[in-house]
Amino acid sequence: MTVVLTLNDVSKTYGGKPAVSGIDLAIAGDSYVSVLGASGSGKTTLLRLIAGFEEPETGSIVFEGERIDGTPAHERGIGFVFQNFALFPHLDVAGNIAFGLVNRRRDPVRDKAELDRRVAEVIRLVGLTGLERRGVSQISGGQRQRVALARTLVTRPRLVLLDEPLGALDAHLRARMRDELRQIRRSLGVTFLHVTGSETEALTMGDRLIVLDDGRIGQFAAPATVYAAPASPAVARYLNAYNLIRGSRSGASFVSALGPLPLAASGDARSASSNPPPSAPSGTSSNLGPAAADGVYAIRHDRIEVRAPESVPGADEIMVPARFVASEYGGASMLSFFALDTGQIVEVEEHLSRGMPLSLVPNSRYGLAWKRDAAIVYA
Amino acid sequence: MQAGVLKPVLAVYTALFIAFLYGPFIVLGILSFQSGPEGGPQFPIIEWSTYWYRHLFGLVPPSRVAPLPIGDSLIRSLALAFMTMVVSTVLGVASAQAFRQKFRGSGPVFYLIVLGMMVPGVLVGLGTALLANLVGVDRSWWGTAFVLHVVYTYPFAFLVMLAIFNRFDRSIEEASWSLGVSPVTTFRKVTFPVIFPGVLSAMLFAFTLSYDEFARTLFTSGPRLTLPLAIYGTFAVEIHPNVFAFGVLTTLFSFALLAVYAILMMRSVRQSRQVSAEAA
Repeated sequence: MTVVLTLNDVSKTYGGKPAVSGIDLAIAGDSYVSVLGASGSGKTTLLRLIAGFEEPETGSIVFEGERIDGTPAHERGIGFVFQNFALFPHLDVAGNIAFGLVNRRRDPVRDKAELDRRVAEVIRLVGLTGLERRGVSQISGGQRQRVALARTLVTRPRLVLLDEPLGALDAHLRARMRDELRQIRRSLGVTFLHVTGSETEALTMGDRLIVLDDGRIGQFAAPATVYAAPASPAVARYLNAYNLIRGSRSGASFVSALGPLPLAASGDARSASSNPPPSAPSGTSSNLGPAAADGVYAIRHDRIEVRAPESVPGADEIMVPARFVASEYGGASMLSFFALDTGQIVEVEEHLSRGMPLSLVPNSRYGLAWKRDAAIVYA
Repeated sequence: MQAGVLKPVLAVYTALFIAFLYGPFIVLGILSFQSGPEGGPQFPIIEWSTYWYRHLFGLVPPSRVAPLPIGDSLIRSLALAFMTMVVSTVLGVASAQAFRQKFRGSGPVFYLIVLGMMVPGVLVGLGTALLANLVGVDRSWWGTAFVLHVVYTYPFAFLVMLAIFNRFDRSIEEASWSLGVSPVTTFRKVTFPVIFPGVLSAMLFAFTLSYDEFARTLFTSGPRLTLPLAIYGTFAVEIHPNVFAFGVLTTLFSFALLAVYAILMMRSVRQSRQVSAEAA
């Protein structure tokens, strides 16, 4: 793999509060990398540092073998797609798309025929044919998104930064644009760095996934790896697919307020500390606050089964009592909320294709069971 | 119930407002058609005529009423207003642009600029005249008066532009940079077209305020008078309806200016709509 972008120890603070700190990163060329993080995790700052809208306080940024930190944004050759699209309101669709080619300092396109050809080509690519002369306030959100993308792609940057590009679109359009973004990227062979706050978007879009946790890289791996083995409780939390229970490890069980949760026999144990995923940086911070020294027991929403309260768990299983609160019907699956005896809410996702789940009565007690080796223990 | 009371009250208020706004102008307008040269600035109209309009342009035989000394002063006032407009607008746009980022001392600098429109004009005028005498600078409409006009109108242009930049979406500039366009070209091709309606408003403010200015100019314009001063000077002798005729003409000129402003404004706002209409 050829590395197109490298960040070494990049940090930036806002008013004394670190926005990103000590970021080390290497992004491969011709790839789609998504960046997942909560708001305030520094993901937009990271993009703005790479684009040159902000300058890092420490560290260096190297793009295509050249150090670019300190270089003004317009000399970096890195594209940027804004969440609010940031189209030029005084220009029509074709004018917006041609703007960069005509006005850029390096190698502007002066030849009218060449300009028209390249604009027409990218308009075809993003599917805006027929709207060339429309004003940008006269087109829909999805079309504006395409104009924003086309405007950037027509200048042929090697790297495009996308700051929550689908955030302003409705759900239906978002799903369609996800697909199109991937196709467009592949056909051009550029690198996309796509920032998002949506775990679904991050998992589906990226060839690789960066999880940002409080200004640091929590994990950088393939989406499937991140999903199956989050490197830290914080990463697991961003994925929004794990129930996290605090406690500490004690021999063959994990001791929590629920009582001891027996762990799988060593060897099968999917303990994160004894067997960390290869790309997980050691010593990642978790934002669990003062109790961070304590351990965390993580169990995925869809690994839990709801049983009758008197049923007996299997030998390799754990079962805890819980009170049913409510559920959300999600079409293909059902998300149910249970309150443990400690008051903590646990989410259970049941796939309806596996048969109808137990019909649940609010405020009644049930047993939640899972396989011991399905749990991930951070301790 | 409440609306029943409110409506007539509002109607009376509106009627009064309009009466005070247009009443004086209507009276002047009517009196400007007084017969001349014997007719005076009062009712009743002896006979309707355009005598005073012709008098204004020297198209009537000489009489005991001297022609209004406006020729040169009108040119002076227009030139002064134009110079003031250009300089104040440029300064206003540039400093509002600077205020988009917080900088050290931005608070004091803000009040320093705005002070120019707050301080009493007579005092500033007098002070400037004394200062000019002290340092041995001759007072003139294009020198001392011009500087004061800029000091006075620049805060208006500045505040207009500040409001415009407040609503300005800075990400379109960043988008332009990220396309490889330099900051200077970005200002020319993106920022300026977008803020243009605001610039137009700033220009209008600066021009009309300067064209009308009296107190500051009174002490600083030196021997050559601007239009407001020249007209005021004729009052000292005797008021004739020729002043009213001139008032009507300048008001029409102002309306023409406003119309040009409105057309330019509409064009810059509707640009995208026209573009889409062409496509349809």
